[in-house]
Amino acid sequence: MGLLDGVFDPPFRKRRNGRYTVNLSEGERQLIEDLALDLRELLTTDSPMLQRLFPPPYGENEERNQGYSALAGSELVERKFAALDVVTGTISAEDLSEEEVEAWMRSINDIRLVLGTVLGISEDQGFEPSDEATQALHDNYEYLGMLLERIIRALSS
Amino acid sequence: MSTTAPLEVMEPDTGTDAETDAPWVVLVWNDPINLMSYVTFVLQKLFSYSKAEADKLMMQVHTEGKAAVSHGTRSEAERDVFRLHEHGLWATMQQD
Repeated sequence: MGLLDGVFDPPFRKRRNGRYTVNLSEGERQLIEDLALDLRELLTTDSPMLQRLFPPPYGENEERNQGYSALAGSELVERKFAALDVVTGTISAEDLSEEEVEAWMRSINDIRLVLGTVLGISEDQGFEPSDEATQALHDNYEYLGMLLERIIRALSS
Repeated sequence: MSTTAPLEVMEPDTGTDAETDAPWVVLVWNDPINLMSYVTFVLQKLFSYSKAEADKLMMQVHTEGKAAVSHGTRSEAERDVFRLHEHGLWATMQQD
């Protein structure tokens, strides 16, 4: 790893024509695809791991939360599927539109939310992995956080 | 959607369920997972806040636990909550 790696060749770079160049290794693309497919599968369940993806809009008013969920819940799931489909459909692409990069951004953030929920990430304590599997999840969590920062930087440039 | 609300008569006390004309407020809550830069970016994108305004709201979320990011009718608030949830932010709505 050189000091300037990533400075001239960032993972996402906006070009003058408004499109984006994606520079990710084969291994990175494979990881992102695997995680996206995992989330797609998870979204077909009512796993508690998904709780951060569907916050109750009316706080503790259960009646209104259920009413909202009945109307908007399935549409929200559909939007998340649609974004994941963009990611898996463009997983090998080296050139993306802004809309596609934003779908990557939302999906990567959703995956991070699930990983953070599983890991029990909290504000007030450092993370102590209990075993190798947890360490691997945390490595993915950290990697996606880095990637998200780079996507935001590219979209803001 | 109706443009003029019927004249309110004495409402029975139904607590927070009482329908009034009071505007709704959309709140974004602090969470330990979302990146600060991401929260700022999403607020800029969805509500056309300047970078400075979005940063200020993000810092309010971070330090005070929550911030009001939009106001409107109930359906406007539901739409904003939906878009925030689409982006993974922890948003709720309540009547002022």
